[in-house]
Amino acid sequence: MLAPQSGSQSSYGGRFRATDLAAPWRHVDVVLLAAVAGVLLIGSVMVQSATRNLPDGGTFIVKHLAFIVVGVGAMAAVSLVDYRRILAWWPVVYGGSLVLLAGVLTPLGSTVNGTRGWYRLGPLQLQPAEFAKVAMIVAIAAYLGAAERVDLRRLFGALMLMGGPIALTLLQPDLGSSLVFIVAGLGMMVVGGVKMRHLAVLMVLGVVAVAGILNSGTLDQYQKDRLTDFVSPDGQSYNVRQAQIAISSGGITGYGLGKGPQTKGGYVPEQQTDFIFTVAGEELGFLGSGLLILLLGTVIWRIWRIAQMSAEPAGTLVCVGVMSMFLFHVFENIGMTLGIMPVTGIPLPFVSYGGSSMLAAFMALGLVQSVHMHRFV
Amino acid sequence: MDTDSDRIRLTAIGIVALSLFVALFVRLWFLQAIDRQRFEVASASNRLRQIHVEGPRGRILDRNGKILVDNRTEVVVALDREPLRKLTPARREAIFADLAETLTSQGVPTKVRDVQKKYDDQRYAPQERVPLLEDIDENTEIFLLERGHRFPGLVVERRAVRVYPYGPLAAHLVGYVGEINEDELAARGGKVPGATSTTSTTTPTGVALTKPYYVRDTIGKAGVERSFEKYLRGTPGSRTVEVNAKGDMISVVSEKPAKAGDDVWLSIDADMQNTAEQLLEAKVRSVRDKIDNDGNPLRAPQGSVVIQDPQNGQVLAMASYPDYDPSITVNGISTELWEQLNNPDNGRPLFNWALQGTYAPGSTFKLFTGYSAMRTGFITPANERYYDQGSYKVKGCNAGKCSFRNAGGAKLGMVDLPRSLTVSSDVYYYWIGDALWQAKGQLGETALQDGAEQFGIGQRTGIELPSEAPGRLPTPRSRRELYRANPKAFVTDRWYTGDNILTSIGQGDVLVTPLQLASSYSTFANGGTQYRPLIATAVTRPKDPGVDPAALNNVVLVHRFEPEVLGKVPFTTEQYLKIMQGLIGVTQSGSGTAVKSWRASPTAWPMAGKTGTAQVTGKADTSVFAGFGPVDGSPPRYTISIIIPEAGFGGDVAAPLAFRIMKPVSENRLVPACTVDQVARCEADLARQVALVSGDVGSGGPG
Repeated sequence: MLAPQSGSQSSYGGRFRATDLAAPWRHVDVVLLAAVAGVLLIGSVMVQSATRNLPDGGTFIVKHLAFIVVGVGAMAAVSLVDYRRILAWWPVVYGGSLVLLAGVLTPLGSTVNGTRGWYRLGPLQLQPAEFAKVAMIVAIAAYLGAAERVDLRRLFGALMLMGGPIALTLLQPDLGSSLVFIVAGLGMMVVGGVKMRHLAVLMVLGVVAVAGILNSGTLDQYQKDRLTDFVSPDGQSYNVRQAQIAISSGGITGYGLGKGPQTKGGYVPEQQTDFIFTVAGEELGFLGSGLLILLLGTVIWRIWRIAQMSAEPAGTLVCVGVMSMFLFHVFENIGMTLGIMPVTGIPLPFVSYGGSSMLAAFMALGLVQSVHMHRFV
Repeated sequence: MDTDSDRIRLTAIGIVALSLFVALFVRLWFLQAIDRQRFEVASASNRLRQIHVEGPRGRILDRNGKILVDNRTEVVVALDREPLRKLTPARREAIFADLAETLTSQGVPTKVRDVQKKYDDQRYAPQERVPLLEDIDENTEIFLLERGHRFPGLVVERRAVRVYPYGPLAAHLVGYVGEINEDELAARGGKVPGATSTTSTTTPTGVALTKPYYVRDTIGKAGVERSFEKYLRGTPGSRTVEVNAKGDMISVVSEKPAKAGDDVWLSIDADMQNTAEQLLEAKVRSVRDKIDNDGNPLRAPQGSVVIQDPQNGQVLAMASYPDYDPSITVNGISTELWEQLNNPDNGRPLFNWALQGTYAPGSTFKLFTGYSAMRTGFITPANERYYDQGSYKVKGCNAGKCSFRNAGGAKLGMVDLPRSLTVSSDVYYYWIGDALWQAKGQLGETALQDGAEQFGIGQRTGIELPSEAPGRLPTPRSRRELYRANPKAFVTDRWYTGDNILTSIGQGDVLVTPLQLASSYSTFANGGTQYRPLIATAVTRPKDPGVDPAALNNVVLVHRFEPEVLGKVPFTTEQYLKIMQGLIGVTQSGSGTAVKSWRASPTAWPMAGKTGTAQVTGKADTSVFAGFGPVDGSPPRYTISIIIPEAGFGGDVAAPLAFRIMKPVSENRLVPACTVDQVARCEADLARQVALVSGDVGSGGPG
């Protein structure tokens, strides 16, 4: 897009010129893009299948595809900028995300399903928590990546960076997102050189903090119920039971597109967003839903690979942060539909219907691509 | 940064990621490949609902194809609760209030509470419609349909209900239908709502299996509707629909149409039934409010007439008074009405007295005593005369009651067996009863009862109708058993000569049902063959349901009820003729107890019979007659039995009634039964009959 000139130059110039090799556009991770494309394809079909019987059924897929287009644009834009320049702006990025997170708690924000986590912008809804996840990854990567060694002061600094969005999302309350901050932050600390004993203390503190959150008045009963549902399989909630019925009855080959009885009947709540994996399970069976998991796994594998290839610690940290975020989203989201994780409302990246999460996921992917593309520069 | 350590940590994170993905795959495989079947069942029960559709019941016809019980379409206003559920409770209440008010203004008093109760009725599945008003008229239907927009969820449906073209004709016989209760449902393998577990859906009979029952189904509750349920019941159909999470229907998955039940053809002749019912009612009414010679009021609380074909056991008419209009049972009987119909002060109109009523047969029993006397050899041509002095002294008696008088005390002089029947000498039978008891050493202690038992006295006839009473034929043994079972209720466990004497004339503890009496006289009339009384001749189904079911080319035979021989009563010709001569004398000889009735006007053919006047302590006599005809040398084709309690002498009430009924039968001039549209004609008929029957004079004597 940006490089027809440099491309034409390179085709005339010697193949081994360092400048050509370093040209960012030549180092796009094609496998990563292909895997994401596959996930997007399956996801779009699932969104269509999940929403075709809804009252305004046709509009979902149109919006979904629009989100993808916007997302791809955002990814391209982010990836072409050297991630180091983005990291340099981390206080702005991070501060902006905190302002948005704080603002949503004011009357400016609106409440959906008991969580005050959205800005209503005409026909669209903006969920600042999704963008805050990427912002926090940028901030911690910049903050830890710049350090020679992570002493206690740095560690506390990083923890403060984590604590801000966690506190603000818990106030919504949005348990799922706050867990994402914790997991992504911890992943970056593990790889970012935090000493093992500090990590151990952190783990203990983490457990205490989770217990504290559960026992404080922050969580509504329904959120605790979701967590205990997971603990006692007998008292399965309606959602979990219906989700498992849908996935399981899909069998190996599935009912076929648009033919899943559970999906058609709308038995699984939120089947186009948080529970979209049930649609894949029922209509595509093990072959289709397994392929979806495999593609998502490929995405994560490629990000992990880029983390290893990065020239600098900050790039590695960006990738580890994004990887941890995606990994948690995928495992938690699919895990809850399979009944092995508690129910929390976090979307399946690149699959679930929803503009904010789609856009944020593409931005995170753009960052990773930027690390890959600018690793020689 | 310690790069090596970081590399290791990155690798560790990679391993964590990999293992999490492996966990997802394993779980996914477990659900989709291993545990699939369990969840598939759950998926189906989630979304598939079976809506059960009852088939219309078969019709009940008389032997000539007159439809006694048919189906008609009823307009029902029902609530479809789906659109109502989507409204707010306040909006719903407002609609219910409006609806109740509108219906009340249309002449159907309705309370808001009633509508709310229907809306909350848990016996109906969410998709099912709850009937709100049954059998509304066309004007109300149109009124409601025009205002449909005001009442979301209000639907007008049509369904089949029973209709009785001949009104109360044969009401007790055809019976009625009602909603199946929990016991009936459980007995038929149906799923009882609220039951903890459904053990199995298999049922004892194959017919029930193909016609399963569900909650709120219709089932025969009485009469033919009940006993021929397996034929009459339609085969239910079903509609399997797919519903979404909200319970709204998405699609019809499969549909099995319901099939109509089979038609049952009764052996009853509607015209004969009508004649019997009308004359019985007329007779009962003419008897009532009089006082007998002993000062007992003639209450005639009930009465029965049974007419049977003695050659095959088919029941041609079975009338029980008082009767009721079965159309009141459509859409259910109220508790109030139910109590009225079972109130003894009203004569218990729901009772089929011909089947459920038991009465002392009185002198009609003498046929069996006479048979027993000949059978045991006590009465022979050389020893059949006894001098009736008006009373009988028990031989060798020196304690207790030793002398038994003729009813009315008449001295009848020298009597042989035929004359004893004709003039109804009690003394003659006392003599037999005493002698058979004295000879118990040789003949056994039931020499008297054995003959009666062969005719079916004291046993259910086995007619295919519910609630038949067995009657009673007392024996020394049954007395002992009764006493042993409940010593306080009985005076003694011993059987005395006096018991034999009373039993010999159908008094004491002997009880028969009118049907049993008819059946036993049929057994004699046909020469000794005991048939099971038949109430139906055939079961058919129409080839084309739209066409007249009686048209012969439109009928497919499902089942034919063949005469069934239960036993044979052996006679010599001489014995048979002796009894026959006596019974013919009753209506034909100058001294016969029923001769006045038969001499009142000529009939097409002569009849034989026996009057009975059973004494009941503290009440007026039970009036009994049993007879058969023709007795002109051709085989008898009709047996009739009549029992009217608290009505007076048999010769005064039952015998003249028998004559009145049998006269048009013999002349083949039965008045056609009236349909409900012909009420005027029927009332005129009835008035004429009452006048006729009231003018009848009896023989004026007991026996």
